[in-house]
Amino acid sequence: MKQKASQKNDRLKQMKRYVPFYLFALPAIICVILFNYLPMKGIIIAFKDYKMARGIAGSEWVGLKHFKAVFTDPNFYRVLGNTLKISILTLLTTFPVTIVFTILMNELRGKRFKKCVQTITYMPHFLSWVVVGTFVYQILSPTGGMMNTILVKLGVLDSPYFFMADQKAFVPIYLVTNLWKTTGYSIVIYLATISGIDTSLYDAASIDGANRFQRILHITLPAMLPTMCTMLILQVGNLISVGFDPIYNLYNDATYQTADVISTYVYRKGMIESRYDLSTAIGLFQNVVSLALVLSANWFARKTNPEYKII
Amino acid sequence: MKKKSEMQDQPIKYKVSTASRVFDTCNIIFMILFCITILIPFWDMIVRSFSRAQDISYMHINLFPKVWTFSAYEYCFQDGEIVSALLMSVARTVVGTVIHIMVCCMAAYTLTRNEMPFIKVITVILLIPMFVNAGMIPTYLNIKDLGLIDNFLVYVLPSAFSIFDCIIIRNYFFSIDKGMEEAASIDGASYYRIFGSILLPLSKPVIATVSLWQMVGQWNAWFDNMVYTRGNKNLMTLQYMLRRMLDSMSQKSGATYQLEAMGQTVDMNPDTVKAATTILVVLPIVIIYPFVQKYFVKGIMVGAVKG
Repeated sequence: MKQKASQKNDRLKQMKRYVPFYLFALPAIICVILFNYLPMKGIIIAFKDYKMARGIAGSEWVGLKHFKAVFTDPNFYRVLGNTLKISILTLLTTFPVTIVFTILMNELRGKRFKKCVQTITYMPHFLSWVVVGTFVYQILSPTGGMMNTILVKLGVLDSPYFFMADQKAFVPIYLVTNLWKTTGYSIVIYLATISGIDTSLYDAASIDGANRFQRILHITLPAMLPTMCTMLILQVGNLISVGFDPIYNLYNDATYQTADVISTYVYRKGMIESRYDLSTAIGLFQNVVSLALVLSANWFARKTNPEYKII
Repeated sequence: MKKKSEMQDQPIKYKVSTASRVFDTCNIIFMILFCITILIPFWDMIVRSFSRAQDISYMHINLFPKVWTFSAYEYCFQDGEIVSALLMSVARTVVGTVIHIMVCCMAAYTLTRNEMPFIKVITVILLIPMFVNAGMIPTYLNIKDLGLIDNFLVYVLPSAFSIFDCIIIRNYFFSIDKGMEEAASIDGASYYRIFGSILLPLSKPVIATVSLWQMVGQWNAWFDNMVYTRGNKNLMTLQYMLRRMLDSMSQKSGATYQLEAMGQTVDMNPDTVKAATTILVVLPIVIIYPFVQKYFVKGIMVGAVKG
């Protein structure tokens, strides 16, 4: 009994010593509570008939009504389908392109030139999707956009075409734009791995008579493999969440059919149509599936690569 | 014997190097094309923004403006809305970054105390938001409850803390010699003093890195503007202004847009103004980017090693 009391005393004393540190952490904790934990109480409106005037607590409990509504809504399945389609196609395009480009860039001999190419191609990463969207609309504009001008001059098109309003064109446009914006950045990540390769490996291989292609195949690629796996797993974890920004800045009401993904659907249902409860339900569904995917991807990553850690 | 083998070696080496050289040349050409692809949209915008309205009319590609003119930029700077949006973007970038750095560095200092009571609890509290988020609508309702709608603080407070940045700063703090801190402590310096006059000055590289991330993030942010501060015109940022120009562009069908653009060739063309605004949005990033690029690469390495 006495010992316990003295232990408690000790702990208090120790805590007193660390008072400045508790104070240092305070702003961060307050921030997290205000902007990360407090919003979570709002998730409950997914199970309620939310009325603005009654507030979150006062609204009527309706159980799974909204979820039933969501899962019987054909629009939801269209949006879910679009989400999966776009994220899988993104994965299938970015992955090979990044790997091939990384290897090609790694094979560049001129150091200065290599640096220059890296600097230029890395740049779009720092632009907002609003800017990128403006670029795309400008290039594809039917009124004097570069693409239309070239295609008409070459005789491919008879008259300018409004690509951005074409449902079928949306996914290809999105994929190309995404490559344009992200390839440079991904290359830098992979190059960081490649730069860790022991150069004597290459020398040994060339003495053994391996040509350049063989050296790439047997040294560079295997060295990239762990990073490739990590990136792949992380992307699989994100399968159900296509980012809001890229879609929102590239789509318009003419292309909702093929372009609408869960995040943009939630935004329009919630913020524009003010169906707070329904869109919270959709968002909750997405978050739960997404969390499950991320956690299992992480678990899988740790299984395959013991060195892999998310933090 | 020796001579013979040398002679045999020579042609083989030569053969390999031709194939190699062809590959190199193709590779260089390919990379140049890659760079051009990246640069075309930028160049197109620049040319448009410096062109006279009548020169960028229908079905012409200009590699350079026919006549260089600043009229679109003059229009931008005479337009009160654009100037105020520019100032707002600068304000949120500066204030947001300062607050972010302060909050993250302070928390990072705490996280270096592994032996402190309840440090595990604090770490977990700060970590959980990395995996779980409330979603768009609950977050919006929360901001509304906090009274931050149409309030400048909504730009800078929700982004004040980031666990990722905090961990990177903490790792840097760990790499600083402990002896320095102990010596100061013996000399009677308080923890506040050690933090302010020893730790922070020694951590300039990591603070620069994280500041740059945050600055780019703040400068590029537009969603909070669209959702939380749509009602207050004074709080409009440059990004959101551009987003609204994009709205007007995407919501018209091809035909009407075409007619409108043709009708307006005499006066101010919305295309050139939009191009000039885009350049204003991109310019700060493009100007400082080459100088700070190495920090970003370093940051990625830290992230890659850690994550």
